[in-house]
Parts: sequence; structure tokens; C-alpha cells
Amino acid sequence: MKYPEIDKYAELDSVIHRFDPRAKIITFTLLIFSFVFIENLGVAFLTLLFSFFILLLSKIPLGFMFDRMKPGLIFVFPFLVIMPFAVEGNVLFSIYGLNITYEGVYYGILVFVRAATSIMFALTMLGTTKMDVTMKSLYSLKVPAPLVQTLMFSYRYVFVFIDEFISMWTAMTSKGFKLKANKHSLSVVGNIVGMLLVRSCERAERVHHSMSSKGYTGESRTIVKFKMQMTDYCLVAFLVGIALIFKMYEMSLL
Amino acid sequence: MKKAISITSLNYSYPDGTKALDDVNIEVEQGEKIVIMGPNGAGKTTLFLHLNGIIRSDDGNVKIFGSSIGDMKVEDRIKEVGVVFAEPDDQLFMSTVYDDVAFGPLNMGLSEEEVGRRVKKALATVGLEGFEERVPHHMSFGQKKKAALAAVLSMEPRVLILDEPTANLDPKSKADLIRVINDLNRNEGVTTVIAMHDVNALADLADRVYVLNRTIVAEGTPRDIFSDPVLVKENNLDAPDLFKFFKIMRCFGADCSQTPMSIDESVTVMTKMIESLEGELYLTVDENTHSLVNEIIASYRH
Repeated sequence: MKYPEIDKYAELDSVIHRFDPRAKIITFTLLIFSFVFIENLGVAFLTLLFSFFILLLSKIPLGFMFDRMKPGLIFVFPFLVIMPFAVEGNVLFSIYGLNITYEGVYYGILVFVRAATSIMFALTMLGTTKMDVTMKSLYSLKVPAPLVQTLMFSYRYVFVFIDEFISMWTAMTSKGFKLKANKHSLSVVGNIVGMLLVRSCERAERVHHSMSSKGYTGESRTIVKFKMQMTDYCLVAFLVGIALIFKMYEMSLL
Repeated sequence: MKKAISITSLNYSYPDGTKALDDVNIEVEQGEKIVIMGPNGAGKTTLFLHLNGIIRSDDGNVKIFGSSIGDMKVEDRIKEVGVVFAEPDDQLFMSTVYDDVAFGPLNMGLSEEEVGRRVKKALATVGLEGFEERVPHHMSFGQKKKAALAAVLSMEPRVLILDEPTANLDPKSKADLIRVINDLNRNEGVTTVIAMHDVNALADLADRVYVLNRTIVAEGTPRDIFSDPVLVKENNLDAPDLFKFFKIMRCFGADCSQTPMSIDESVTVMTKMIESLEGELYLTVDENTHSLVNEIIASYRH
């Protein structure tokens, strides 16, 4: 099983990697929110192209990034399939009495393209900064500490969780278990999930003991050393400018 | 000498009513090396949770350098007692080693410079220089154990408590960790309290041993404890192989004045024994030898 390491290539050197992490979070979030509200399919494709350009600038291997994008795209894929049948409008053609409409196809593709753009931006943002730096940036941007801590612990312990799952799965297969599409397999998998939850609860208690014994009282303290450079301000201006240009272009088309 | 730890009549029951600690009394002098042994479920971890105030005893039964741990402020408490738990993944909860080692000092309210100095020193002490930016899931178990120790050392506690520090470590990592603990004790006067089952490594880490089985069953030097096979057996323990070997040597007529606990001690004992016999060592087998040997083996066998 692969580890979900999103920051595997955070050590590379590119203009996106060097971008101040706080400014990166703010501008990329702004770009995502600005692009998901685009209504014109042509403009949406341009934003997708732009996000791909930013991805190329980051030098992150494309295979790695597309691999990470897959789960998100699989999640929005049903929109692409269902919407052509579900949205009313001009009928393009019919299959067994089910009408496929132009508007349905249009909005299905639009939703999918918007999602792909957002996912690509979000992953480029996360992939070009080490996770601990992203967390520190969130702290310095005054994101509520419980939220940041939840994110931080989730990322830290997902690897331990996977290791535990693998060791349990290995123990089961070494006792002859084979996953089949039957009730017994479902029950065994249910037991594994239950066991993982119990172990997680126990681990959470031990982690809390460990944190308390180091003086943790709920308040988060961290060392943050960020400094905006002129290049960061320029990049912010460029990216915000691009978002505005896309918005204005779309409005001119309406 | 100052009393580093003083526990008097400590009782604790789990929420379901099961008695975990029953009238536990422990006294530890400053700079002493103490090992706590006992069967699984004897209450060692629960005792340690009392020692740094995670479980609070309202009656002030646990005192560290004369002050009740329950009455201390968090910052003072972590300055006095540091606990290294058995499972390193539970203690390395931050994203990088630096953040983990800096976690305690930051909670103590120290300046950034002081935190940086302490992190550097703690990582150097355990031999993990250059690991600052490493993420825990990319480290070996031995490295994680060392990082977990560094994360406690950075608080510079006067009392260091370790739960199974040598468990699941390869021999090199185990030797490294024992050396670090002993250096801290010898050079910086840190009082160490260690829970361990590894009897063969115990002699290097213990001036005195407490046997805990919900209550304190016995207390003494390692030699006192292992010389009592009934005590050892009743508490699911074992004696070091070397210790048993020299007891068996006696059955073959070896005249060793004391039973050694470690390789270093055994060299001394053997040298003395051979020198006293003008450079020779006599071993004999008579009609009683094998029955005596079997008796010793049986006395320690579970």
C-alpha cells in the first residue's frame, strides 16, 4: 500500500516552491474560489490550462501529481455521467428512452473541469510545501488551533494507521484469509476496521499522555520564521491579476 | 543527599474498580539509578503516570524533590520529571523531529534561542544531529526511540523516567541507548527510573531494583533480587544468564566470592578467582554436582 505522501517533492526548487507559504495558501485559495464559480466552459478550460501551467512551473513529476488527483477525480466523475441525463434542456439524443441534453453535457463537463482545476491547484499548493511548514503557515494565518492540530495529527498518524492495517492484513493473509465477495469476508473486514478504531482510540489516549507530560494544555506554541520577499509580492500580484483577468474575460463573454 | 522521589502509601484503582496500585512506597535519592521490574500488568506505567502528574493523587503522596507533584505548575512539573514512554510513535506526534524536540521547551515558555539551543543539545546527546527536518515515519524504530528520548531531554528534567527503553531494539541501538542514559546519570546527575524486563541489560542501568506487582514486593540491589529464585519466579521474572551461569559454576567447584551481574564484573571475579589459585582454575564433578546444577536450573525455571 502506498503512503499518501503529498509533500514528497516539497524539497525541489522552483518559483512555486520558493513562494512564501502563507502567501501561497492565500493566493491559491483565492484562485480556487475564483475559478470554481466560472460559468463559461471555454474559460473553465483556460483555467484548467493555467493550473496545469502552474503545475509545470512547480516541477513536480506529472505522474505523481495525476496519481494523487485520481481519488478526487473519481469522486466527481459521477457528475459527468449523471448530469447529461438529469439536467433538462435541448435533447441531443436518446438512449433507451433516456434523454441526453446539451445543457446536461455542458454542466457535467463544467463541474468536472472546475473540480480538476481546484484539485490541481490544491495539490500543487500542498505538494510544493512541506507539511509541517503548511501547518505553521496556517497557525500564523490565525486558522483556529484545534483545526490545524486535527489536520496535523491526521497527517502524522495516517502513516501509523496504514502500517497497523498492513500488519493486521498480513497476519490475516498468513492465516489463509482471502478476500472474496461474500458475507464472511465482509464480516472479517468489518472486524479489522473495528479493531483499527479501537487501537486508534487507545493510541489517542497514549499520545495525549505524552503531550501532557510535555506541558501541553491545549494551547499550541510553535516557532514561525517567515518573511515576505519582493518576489513573493510580485507573484501574489501576478496570480491575483490572472484571477481578475479570467473573471473579467468571462464577464465580457456574458 | 536529597530525596529525588518520595512516594508514600500510593493507591490507585482504574475506573472499573480494578486495583492498579496498592500501598506503593518508593524512595529514590538524587542521582540514583533505579529499575522497576514486575510482571505485565503490574502497574508500572500507571506508577509512571503518577510520577509526572498526569494522574494526580490528591493526598500529596508523590513528592519530587520535596514538592507534591500534584501542586506544581505544569512548567515546573515538566522541568523536574520527564517520562519517555514505551512506544515512540505515541511520543513523536509533530511533523518533524525538530518540532517534536522543541515541543516541551516551547510549552515551558522559553525563548526561541533557548529552545534552539536545547533542541541542538538534546539531538547531539542521542546522536541524531542532522535529523531536525526528518519526519518520524521515515525513521527506523531505533531512531524513533532516540528521538523520543531527545524530546524529553530537551526539557532538561532532573528525574528521567523510561518505560521499556531497550524493548525491540537491535543490540547496537540498545547499547547506544544504555550509554546515553548512563552518561546523563554520571555527567549531569540525572536521576533515572527505568521499567524493564531485559534482565541481561539491567545491571548496567540499576543501582537498586524495586519489584512491583501492584504493590512493592521487594527492594534491593540487583544481586539481592536475583539471588532469591522464589521472588523471581513468583513475579514472572528471570535472572540474568551470566548470573545463573556463575551460580552453576559454583556447583562445579568454582570459588567465586560473589556472583557477577555483568560481563565486566565477571572478568573481575574470574581474575580474582584464578589469581587466588595461583594462576589456575580448578573445576570438579562429583556425585552431587549434577543434582546441584539441576536444582539451580529448576529454581529459576518457569
